[in-house]
Parts: sequence; C-alpha cells; structure tokens
Amino acid sequence: MDKRITIQNMNKFYGKKQALFDINLTIEQGMFGLLGRNGAGKTTLMKTIAALHKKKSGEVTVCGVPVEKAKKIRAMTGYLPQDFSMYPNMRTDEALDYLGALSGIPAQERKKRVDLLLEKVNLTEHRRKKVKELSGGMKRRLGIAQALIHNPEVIIVDEPTAGLDPEERIRFRNLLCEIAEDRIVILSTHIVGDIESTCEKIAVMDEGRILWKGTVRELIQNASGHIYTANIEKQYMAQIKKEYIVTGMVAQADYITVRLVSDAEPDLPNAVLTEPDLEGAYMYCLHANGCKVKGGEE
Amino acid sequence: MLFGLECRKIFRSAAFWIYCVLSVVFFATNYIGSYGGPLYDGVEGYKMTEDHDLVMSGATNVLFGEYASNKYVCYPFGFYKAVHLKESDQKRIADYLMEITGTDEKGFEGLLGQGTECHVMAGFQEQLEYMYEDMPVAEGFSYDRFTEIMTDVDNLLGGGSEYDPEKLLYYYGQVPMTEEECQAEHEAFIKDDRITGGFARLFSDYAGIDLAILPVFPAAFLTAADRKRRMHELVYTRNVSSCKLVFTRYAALVFTMFIPVFFEMIAALIQAMIQYKGQDLDMGIMFTLPTFWLLPILMCTTAAGVLITEIFSAVTAIFAQVVIWFLTVMMSSNMLVGQIGKFTLVCRHNSAGERAAFLAAQDNFIFSRFFWAAVSLVIIAAAAAVYEAKREGRFNGFKLFGEGGLLRRQA
Repeated sequence: MDKRITIQNMNKFYGKKQALFDINLTIEQGMFGLLGRNGAGKTTLMKTIAALHKKKSGEVTVCGVPVEKAKKIRAMTGYLPQDFSMYPNMRTDEALDYLGALSGIPAQERKKRVDLLLEKVNLTEHRRKKVKELSGGMKRRLGIAQALIHNPEVIIVDEPTAGLDPEERIRFRNLLCEIAEDRIVILSTHIVGDIESTCEKIAVMDEGRILWKGTVRELIQNASGHIYTANIEKQYMAQIKKEYIVTGMVAQADYITVRLVSDAEPDLPNAVLTEPDLEGAYMYCLHANGCKVKGGEE
Repeated sequence: MLFGLECRKIFRSAAFWIYCVLSVVFFATNYIGSYGGPLYDGVEGYKMTEDHDLVMSGATNVLFGEYASNKYVCYPFGFYKAVHLKESDQKRIADYLMEITGTDEKGFEGLLGQGTECHVMAGFQEQLEYMYEDMPVAEGFSYDRFTEIMTDVDNLLGGGSEYDPEKLLYYYGQVPMTEEECQAEHEAFIKDDRITGGFARLFSDYAGIDLAILPVFPAAFLTAADRKRRMHELVYTRNVSSCKLVFTRYAALVFTMFIPVFFEMIAALIQAMIQYKGQDLDMGIMFTLPTFWLLPILMCTTAAGVLITEIFSAVTAIFAQVVIWFLTVMMSSNMLVGQIGKFTLVCRHNSAGERAAFLAAQDNFIFSRFFWAAVSLVIIAAAAAVYEAKREGRFNGFKLFGEGGLLRRQA
C-alpha cells in the first residue's frame, strides 16, 4: 500500500478568490509539519486533503486514493480541526463512543477502543466528566482520541497547541510523536517550537503558496550565513527594528543582545554571524521569498 | 446502534423537553379540558346533504344580506376579513342576484326591501346589517350556472368567501338531523366506532394541529446543533454516509417526538374508559388510527424542518414552518368535519361523531396519509443530498439574515 500523500499542481478557489496556488507536495509516513502564518492557507490545504473542501484543479491522493473518493478518504483519515468542540452535556467516553459509532465501528470493538484511547491520551480518570467540564488541554487530547478512534492511516491536526499551557503543550507534542510511529501525521501550526520538537520534514506556506519544503535541518542550513547577533544600546533598538528582522532579544544591564536576519553582514558594532535556529531560519525563508516580515517591528 | 445514540442525544436536548411540555399542555387544554363529559346526551346534530335547491336558497339569502349591507365576510388563509365592494362590483352582484332570482330591477328592489334589519357590534361600533330568508331562486335555474356565478362572486371578493363552490355544500347543505338520524348517529358511535373510534378521530384532529408546528423546534435545533457546537467538522470527516446519518437522525427525531403523542393516546383512552365505564370500547383504535393519521404530519413537519435548516438556518426553518402551519391549519379552520382532500396534510374532523362524513372522505384520507409520508421521505432524501454537499465543501448554506445575508438591505 502506498503510504504517502501526494499533491500535484493543486489549486483551490473560494468563489473568485484563489486560496491555494499550484501546490506540489509529497508527505510520507511520520510527522510532517506545515508551518506558516495565520491565513497562509494551511487549514485550506488540510481540509482539502481531508475531503472537506473541493479543489479546483490538480491531483491529490491519500495513500493512493484520490480525494474525490470522499468516503474512502474519510475512512482512512482522522481530523482534528483548530476550532472544535463536542456536545457539552455528553460524557467524555460517550462523545468518543458516539464519534466511533459514526465511523461505523461495531459496539463491542468501540468499547475496547474507547478504553484504549482514553488511556493513551491520559483521560481515563476523566471519562465520566462532561465535555464542558474538561480543560482546554483535556479537550485537545480528547480531540486526538476521536481522530484516532477508527485507527486511520492519516491524522491531520490543525493548530493543536494554540492556547495550551507549556506543560500541556509538551504532553500533546509527545502524544503526536507516539501516534506518528506507524502513520502519517500532518501538524499545521504557526508555532515554530511545535515543529522543532516534533517534525523532521516540513513545508513553509505563505499566502496560499509553498515557499519551502524539506527537512528542518535543511531549512536551518538554508539560513546559514544570514543570522547575526549584536549587542545594541537600548536607545538604538527602534532603529534596528526598522532596518532588520529581529528574531530574538535578551535584555542585559546596559544593552540588548539581538538576533537578527540579514542578507549581508549588518553595519553594526559587535555583529557576529551565528548558528541559525529554526525560528530564525523560518523568518529568513519568508524574507528570502519576498514576504513582508515584521520581525520585531511594532 | 447509531439510532439509539441519536435518541439518547435527543433526550438530552432542551428543545425536545420543551416540545414535550408544549405538546402535553396543548393536549390537556384542548382535548382533555374540552371533553370532560360524555357525548350524545340529547344534543341535536346536523348532517350535510347534496340538496342543490337548499344550497342555492341558503347562499342566495346570505348573498342578499351581504349585498344589502355591502359587507362580505371572508376568511382568506383562515383569517376573518370584511370586504366592502365598490359601486361597479356591487352592480355586478346585483345583476347576479337578479339572474338567480329571475327578477328585473323593480322586482329585485322589491326583494331587497324584505330584509330584516339587525344591529350588530363590530368592534366597539354598532353596525346595521340585513338578514334575508326565503329569497326565491328562479324556476329551473341550473346548479351549474349557480356555481359559475358563485365562482365569480368569490373571485370578486378576493377568495376565502362562503361562496367558494368547493365549500357551498359544507356551508349551505347542512340540515338538522331528525330524531331517528340522531339515534342512528348515536348507535354508530356506540356500535361501529365502539366509542373510542370517535374519540380517536377527535384526538387526531387536535393533535394534528400541534404536530404541524411543534416538531419543527427540535428538528431545527438538533439539525443545527453540530454547527452550533462547533462539532460539524468532526462529524463530516466520519465514515458514515450522509444518507445513513441524515435518515437515522430523522428516524430518531420522529420516534422520540411520537413518544409524548403515544402517552397522550393512553391518557385519551383512559378518559374514555372512565366516561364510558362498562361499555364495549375498541382499545386498539385509540392507537392505530391516530398513528396512521398523525405520523405523516409529524414526518412532514420534521423533514421540512431538517431540510430548511440544512439549506438556510434553524431560525428560517421555524419561520417557514410557522407560515406553512398558518396556511394549512388556518385555511381549514372553518371547515372542520369531513372535508379531507387528497392532498390535505392536516386532516380535520372536529367531532367524535359524524362517522359517515369521515367515511365518505376515507379514500382521500388514506391517499393523503401515504402521499405525505412519501413526500416526507423525498424531503429527507433532499436533506441528505444537501448534507453531503456541505460535507464535501460544495455548498455552505444560504444565509438570509445578518451580514452577507440574501435578505440584507443594500446600503
């Protein structure tokens, strides 16, 4: 069985407005990160893969099945939207059981899977709680459990860590890595830290286009020679923010140590070429592709 | 089983319990409250005949009275409306009355002078009206020509008048029953209907009015619930087919909303058993006839609620159903017995007796039940198609109100 998602020359319109431009992408087993700003087209792309949106042109196949065959796609895909909830008065296990029933799982098997998944997402002790009583992190974990209930080959998660506290975020990332061992997991996010700690392969999107695709290491290498650190006196910070893309600042006693993106060596005292991190590499990628970047500028 | 899970979901919704409360309140006030004592305790009844002379005479008397007062009572869409005609239209009515009575202008004036003055209250004002009796119909005047004239008069009045040829027999063909006929009617109630048969019709008549409107509330709210709860994308990406999901949810809605009706049937049966203690009652018919009568109404109201909610919104579905309810129920509100057409959704028979009148319309009644049940299934199939289109992102519903709504006034 072909365990890949392939997208070829795919275009998508909302009415007359084009949302995705000539997308070409191959996603293989394991974690795949889709990184981009809000409104970059990540959700549209993922909904198209999940057969929730119709593409205008091009080809999309999920494990060899064209997305036009919606019923088959639904059977092999688990989807966790960014903005979701469940019936608030349902118990946690009931909500999972109901969605399992909608996936056509027989009652006996459903019971086993509900128990197993609640255990996996660490919600067993909260199974009798109503959905409305769960915290944001618990709801997200329940969301992942529902996406896994029918044991799909592909899991698509959209901005899953938005609004979670650091502990829940780490727990959620680890959970995603666990479930990606034997399936494709697409993680869409604008949070670089999520990608950094979970994905090896990524694509960077902006304004409906794929700007870059490859491994995290390659993206970082790509930015090599363009990330600098410099110690700047506080009164010059406003000027620096106007002239450069600032990706990080650490306040010292008399000055600020800044990390910034620059095509050439910046005309700053103490400017030192430094090893890029993923955040800087991502900002450089946007900058190199002509996107308007507001790194540090207010 | 998905059906069971959907039923459980409905039992947990406030909309369902509000529906139950309203259904029981309507039943208690309209049915139980109205029939506290036994029927046929010496009350005289009326029967409908096809006596064309009687009909022509009755309608002519009334038309004389309304012409003389220039006040024609109509019920367009079931609502009272007093129509006042302009001079040229009054002249046409006068010409028709002369043709019917076979008189010239002088003779007509003479007949017009025979009216009895009566003062009636219209709101807070007293009005002078005229009543006529025994106005002559010309010798050999044909009923066909009479109905032609009545059709034109009804059109002149804007419809909904008592001169509508389809309603002429109902309004003017009624005669008091003789004592023997009353006795026969009573016997039919006791022996043929075995009492509960009559009450089953009466119960169905009342319950049908409620079921033509109340089910739209749970249907609309529960259909819109997935989107309102931001759960629709979790459901859309499931393996279940749209057809299976929509039909199962529909079946669960119809099943659960029939439960209070079922308990009302039991209550109506108990009431009949108390009132007619010791008599031979037909227990089964109190369940079979109302089920056959009411289920298509419930199915249709629910299906329409689901489809309109899928296409537009829950609010639009409720608004549309209220309009349909007024049109279907109020239009038949002044013809309450035996007037069941082939395509009547809310059949009316506001009487525990008059079995013969009901039986006369039995073929239409049976046809209408199957017809509306079939229509309901077609509607729900359409709802499944709309659901699938929304699921695949081909259709996102029409918005009527609010920002970007189709009915939003352009600035």
